[in-house]
Amino acid sequence: MTMATASIEQTASGTIMLSASGVSKRFGSTRALVDAALEVRSGEVHGLLGANGAGKSTLSRIVSGHIARDAGEMSYAGSPFAIRSTRDALRAGIALVAQETSLAPEMSVLENIFLPELGRAGRLSYGALRKRAHAILSRLGRDHALPLDAEVRRLSAAQKQLVEIAKALALDASLVIFDEPTASLSPSEVDRLFDIMARLRDDGRGLIFVSHRLEEVFAITDRVTILREGTTVARNLETAQLSQSDIIRHMVGRELDAIYGNREAVRATPSGEIVFEVENLAARPEVRNVSFSVRRGEVLGLGGLVGAGRSEAVEAIFGLRPRDAGTIRIDGKAVDPRTPADAIALGIGLVAEDRRAQNIVPDLTVRENLLLAHIGRHKGFGLGYGQRSRKVTDLLGKLGLPADRLDSNLLNFSGGMQQKVIIARWLLVEPTILILDEPTKGVDIGTRSSIYAILRDIAAEGVAVIVISSDFEELLGVCERVVVVSDGLSIANLPTSVLNEEKLTLLAAPRTSTERNVSLLRSLSAEFGATAFWALVDGDELICLGAASADGAPEIGLAAGEAATGAETAIARAVTEKSEGFVTEPETGLQTLLVPMRNKRGHDLGWIGLTLAAGKAVPDPRDIVERVIARTDAEETTGPNR
Amino acid sequence: MTTSTSPLAGGLGRIAKSLEVRMLGLALVLAVALSLLSPYFLTQNNIFNILDQSVVIGIVAVGMTFVILTGGIDLSVGSVAGLTGIVLGLALQQMPIPLAIGAAVLAGGGIGLVSGVLVAVFGLAPFVVTLGMMAIARSLAYIFSGQTAISAIPYDLSNIVYTVVLGIPANVLFLLALYALAWAYLTYTKGGRTIYAVGSNKEAARAAGLNVLLYSILPYVISGALAAVAITFSIAQILSADPLAGNQMELDAIAAVVIGGASLYGGRGSIIGTLIGVLIMVMIRNGLNLMGVSPFWQGTAIGSIIILALLAERLVNWRSAR
Repeated sequence: MTMATASIEQTASGTIMLSASGVSKRFGSTRALVDAALEVRSGEVHGLLGANGAGKSTLSRIVSGHIARDAGEMSYAGSPFAIRSTRDALRAGIALVAQETSLAPEMSVLENIFLPELGRAGRLSYGALRKRAHAILSRLGRDHALPLDAEVRRLSAAQKQLVEIAKALALDASLVIFDEPTASLSPSEVDRLFDIMARLRDDGRGLIFVSHRLEEVFAITDRVTILREGTTVARNLETAQLSQSDIIRHMVGRELDAIYGNREAVRATPSGEIVFEVENLAARPEVRNVSFSVRRGEVLGLGGLVGAGRSEAVEAIFGLRPRDAGTIRIDGKAVDPRTPADAIALGIGLVAEDRRAQNIVPDLTVRENLLLAHIGRHKGFGLGYGQRSRKVTDLLGKLGLPADRLDSNLLNFSGGMQQKVIIARWLLVEPTILILDEPTKGVDIGTRSSIYAILRDIAAEGVAVIVISSDFEELLGVCERVVVVSDGLSIANLPTSVLNEEKLTLLAAPRTSTERNVSLLRSLSAEFGATAFWALVDGDELICLGAASADGAPEIGLAAGEAATGAETAIARAVTEKSEGFVTEPETGLQTLLVPMRNKRGHDLGWIGLTLAAGKAVPDPRDIVERVIARTDAEETTGPNR
Repeated sequence: MTTSTSPLAGGLGRIAKSLEVRMLGLALVLAVALSLLSPYFLTQNNIFNILDQSVVIGIVAVGMTFVILTGGIDLSVGSVAGLTGIVLGLALQQMPIPLAIGAAVLAGGGIGLVSGVLVAVFGLAPFVVTLGMMAIARSLAYIFSGQTAISAIPYDLSNIVYTVVLGIPANVLFLLALYALAWAYLTYTKGGRTIYAVGSNKEAARAAGLNVLLYSILPYVISGALAAVAITFSIAQILSADPLAGNQMELDAIAAVVIGGASLYGGRGSIIGTLIGVLIMVMIRNGLNLMGVSPFWQGTAIGSIIILALLAERLVNWRSAR
């Protein structure tokens, strides 16, 4: 990620705007804050870090007047902190830019920016407001990014956030809290947000940046304060002096390496026979053509970017959305689950992506949430909890959940524990195929490692496990094989041993060129009775993104989605030489031409290859090169999206 | 872990219970206040009076609880009671009592089935569907009855009210049995827990493989059928089927369920809470009658107590949330 605008300048040690120490806050029986401290100076971006449930949001909500503290010394702008409501906070110049925005969706951008002023007596001058809005936005360098008359509900997440920031500036807020502001932004939008934040800082405002994305913390903050379990464990550390492992050590109190457990052990697990196959699955518009298969005892990753169609694909498999095409086979037999109940009866379990919306039933107890899938499968009239009591006891031990808390409300638990309960819900009904969609989303690092351990255990018991994740490090750490999905197409199927984060990123990047390139391959192969392929070439390694073969065309030892070294293919010499003309292989006589594709900025888009059988008359290489250029010059593909 | 632990002993149970306990407290405070205001209030006779007056509204409130637990509402129960009363009255001319009652209950259940299907299958808003059904049922009641009450009701029907079993009138016994049955169903069966799950988070219930469709429809069927049962007890008492019967009964039933702690968003509430809600409503009305308060003032009194009870509940919740 390039963040030139967010370069870290030496902290101009401004005056202390906000200081807090010994802050505590209790929600019912939960101690959200125990002994929190925070100090924010003017002209700095102050990172407030911590694992989930560490109390970051609680502390920022206290500062912004949303909730009141139970105890603690706080001062703001040199006098004791006397803020009792959000209105007080706004009047004092403290604004919160939250994940879920507090905008009025049916009103215009302009009205939202000046929402706090609309309630004042007297006539509004929209002309004057418009001028002020333009002034504010141009101060942010975003004058043309917002249509002032548009309804807010039509805006993108990034634009809504910009409205929130403009609203804070309309009140001349001097302390602005950004609570996980980048969660729903694309990388370029994040860059723009950081540009705005840098401008606000340079104006002499104080900014609090609440996040657990370390890269972003390094990109924008000047100092950080770290919370762990409601207590400040490190305060006012200079970001420039920190490394990622320093921060993680403070956050979790342990080293990072440990969390994936023994990767080699994962590799060594012998894989059983194929139990679950999905072929040419389509559920338009999100899922266009997805195929994969899983073996007994295997952990398969479905990798890709958010919005690539992975969740939609598994929902289509599970009967949560209609399928347009495709075959699903379990143990070689074609099946047709139309509803989740069908899928469950076939032995499939799904831990859906959105925990709160798709998994948790808030009014039922932990026990009943745990036994929910059991109730779905249970044939009798009663509850039949007795049948599962042993398994429940077993699972509780594994989860580290005390049995006496089975009757409390699941929402009172941390995200990690909630997730473990949901996973356990499926383990109780003993699925043969378990699909987990983003199983560690919103889960703290400590709990993650125990979820990984659970996944390994399940696989070791012979369950076929499918993990969807946008976190490539996680996929590489947990899975034996990864199927990459991009733009609704499964484009690669590779063992993790040949993958790394960079390669996955490369494969997962949505390519608007995919369909055009594949049609080029088809026409080339048909025209010359040849095999045509499209591959990324990295030194001696090839990753094939697409291939087409005419009848009787030669085998080159490389299929779409596969990775191989040049030597493993039938066109080793051509890969080594990368010559401008056709290269003839010494033993087989295959004749291969490799043509590089580059976009206008010179970014490598991979190579187009054309292999003809031995002795066949070859076309003029320049013709082929021109056709490839004609194909690629038309548009720039997006680069790796990370 | 003991699997015999009732889910009611659990967290939900605790919430519901604490709420039930508070409402039970309110009921007791009311009882004490009313007995101070009227010496007749706490007599055995009057207590049976209160229970007797609870029967009709209490039966309807059970169905309403089922519907509200799924996040729906049934505005048609009053009109369905009116219509099925007429069905019963007409059927009694043709067939023996049990069959006639069966016909009325079937008619009520059938109307509920239509509402349930419109809500669950076609995704229409329960408020609108049952509002429409309310108008249809009332209009049919007038048409079938020829706009007059049917008073040729066989006297034997009154046996279902006045037969005394174990010292308790049959209608009160039926009410208590119905509540016990409904409580057991909602607490200890797959269907009951599914109704809670559907109301609490339909998406999650579907994803867990629960039969969301069936248990979204069933409550409306139960509600319609129980409206018919309720009006049967009412007709058995007055030996007349009036097309106007059951007017505004839905409001009393909803009020009782809400006083009993159920959330109109679904997923939260209990049958015992509803029983307490019914008793509170009936006690107030009974007490006011004993004190000779004008019936025109009773609406104000009952409405105020409903609002104050919920307001107090909300204030308590706010304090514990802060």
